[in-house]
Amino acid sequence: MAAVLCLTLFALALLASVMFGSKATSAGDVLRVLTGGGDEYTRTVIESRYPRTALGVLAGLCLAVAGTLMQGITRNPLAEPGLLGINAGASASIVAATAFLGASGQRETIWWALVGALATGVVVHLIGTAGGGSSPVRLVLAGAVLSAVLAAFIQAVALSKPQVFDTYRYWVVGALGGRGFDAVWAVLPFAGAGFVLAALLAPGLNAMAMGDDKAASLGISPARVKGAGLLAATLLAGAATAAVGPIAFVGLAVPHLVRALVGADFRLQILFASLAGPTLLLFADVIGRVLLRPQELMVGVVTAFVGAPALLFAVRRMRGAA
Amino acid sequence: MKTADPTDTPTGADAGTDTRAGTTARRQARPVRRIMVRIGPWVAVPVRRSSLIAAAISLLLLLGGAVATLSMGRLGIDLADLPSALMGEARGKNAFVLNRLRGPRLVVAIGTGAAFGLSGALFQSVTRNPLGSPDVIGLGAGAGAGAAAAALFLPDVMPIAVGSLLGGLIAMAVVYFSTGTGFRSPGRLVVAGIGVAAMATALTQYVVYAVERDKASALTAYINGSLSARSWEDATTIWIVLLVCVPFAALLARPLSIGEMGDDTSTGLGARPARTATAAIALSIMLSAGAVSVAGPIAFISLTAPQIAKRVTRSGGPHLVMSTLLGALLLVLADLTAQQLPLFDDLPVGLYTMAVGGGYLGYLLIREWHRPV
Repeated sequence: MAAVLCLTLFALALLASVMFGSKATSAGDVLRVLTGGGDEYTRTVIESRYPRTALGVLAGLCLAVAGTLMQGITRNPLAEPGLLGINAGASASIVAATAFLGASGQRETIWWALVGALATGVVVHLIGTAGGGSSPVRLVLAGAVLSAVLAAFIQAVALSKPQVFDTYRYWVVGALGGRGFDAVWAVLPFAGAGFVLAALLAPGLNAMAMGDDKAASLGISPARVKGAGLLAATLLAGAATAAVGPIAFVGLAVPHLVRALVGADFRLQILFASLAGPTLLLFADVIGRVLLRPQELMVGVVTAFVGAPALLFAVRRMRGAA
Repeated sequence: MKTADPTDTPTGADAGTDTRAGTTARRQARPVRRIMVRIGPWVAVPVRRSSLIAAAISLLLLLGGAVATLSMGRLGIDLADLPSALMGEARGKNAFVLNRLRGPRLVVAIGTGAAFGLSGALFQSVTRNPLGSPDVIGLGAGAGAGAAAAALFLPDVMPIAVGSLLGGLIAMAVVYFSTGTGFRSPGRLVVAGIGVAAMATALTQYVVYAVERDKASALTAYINGSLSARSWEDATTIWIVLLVCVPFAALLARPLSIGEMGDDTSTGLGARPARTATAAIALSIMLSAGAVSVAGPIAFISLTAPQIAKRVTRSGGPHLVMSTLLGALLLVLADLTAQQLPLFDDLPVGLYTMAVGGGYLGYLLIREWHRPV
């Protein structure tokens, strides 16, 4: 039942993503173009929307699965990929590469973003586990600290070099448009590796939900599962962020939706997150395209303004003073 | 615990406060000298002598920072000329530096830093969260968004400072109403703050994306918190905010220190924790909003000043006075760095506080981790 619902919504999101834009087309047009018909103009319009749709699917999947992993491992319902310092790391890397190494254009910056995101993920992990043990709280705090220091660096460099500032401000807003299939191919290997790792870890995460001791008695090393899970989350979130810029709330909200839908089983959670994430991101992107037509609102802005009120609504139902 | 001991009354307490009577308190193991600082019949704060010494040292350092701000660098006023210049006999270049260039900036820095420090101390005392400050619940982000919105939608109509004040207050109003319990529940406050900050940041980023580059750059500098080109009007604004808020903060000092014993204990002692908490957070927000409207959302001062105060005085309690002094000191030193560091040309001071504050937070974390949990 839930599966049918999710698949239907996903298909609708895909359809909407190629249908709507500054020039609206009909579902019939889309069908004709897909089957090889339709006139030249409509075909061009619809095909120009393929890359951003593909990017939306990839980024939505990555963020949602990364969020599911993070919330499962840290047992913190507010955990999301940005907390690992990934956004800040990717931004800092882009800024540094543009300022000091003369990198320019989408094609080059995406690689730098990827390197920065992964490197920061590793550093956060190293700081977070420095004193021995790996408390998820430490990890998140380490991410917050590193993000603050990197933010100062980013702003300092961006404000002293106008050229860098331009690259940075267009990237940081988080958008699906204006990027080609290149972006998809560049990050696909990392996203794939992260996803496979996540899928392999699902049974271990299920065992750990009963408590670390129970999991250990089942022959699973909780520390290893946590470490590998955070690695997978870093790979996934790094890939998404490099491809489309920082996007808030997809990684935070989707895991909650999915848990409400399918329960605690991580195998199902990851599967459904891979459907719900893209669905949410694509719908947000479509809203951004039609809201200010003919201008566009970037998807990062839309997700913030859809996700934050949902969070504010959820706050009222928080129990107790904690 | 405390025994009045008239023969052992220390004199010469903090300048500016009226010490009518003093008592010393002794613990069995280690005698801790306390001085009762009284302001009229309303306020009576027992102060440790070590706290007084720490406060005096901070004041001296603040004075040193202020003198350095006025006298360092190419345009600085010679130390020899400084006393007469301050007495109103500045001429030529010195008059320009004192009255236009660095004087107002210094006075704004002291006032803003003090406001941020006091604001953070009030907030952390109530929420008992060492990472709590009005920035954390989205005031800074809201102010940034307000400034950005003013620049995009009402350019040349609404001053950016007014926009940022409105933005900060709107953000706080949204937080207040969305928690459902006002400012009473710290956990809800922080989560609601995350949501409000996310929206505000998205709006800011959209505006910075949408306007032309020069405007975007100026806006970004403001949003990071900057003290360059401040006027005497800015100085007046922040000092009026301080004059209004400090008496209320002094009234709250006692209920707050009782409140730190926990809600049950303090209720047993006849305090009303919920009312104290709401008043303290409202005051904290007023102070931060005033500071932000003058200097932009400067990061980490309100977060770190109370933390340093706690470590310097090594005692419990809300540390209101120490945090205020340390806030001013931190901001004056950061702004001195921003003005004199040859590496970058007058970057917004908020970037320095962000870098140093972040580093300090990291240091605290690593130190905590080496302690067994």
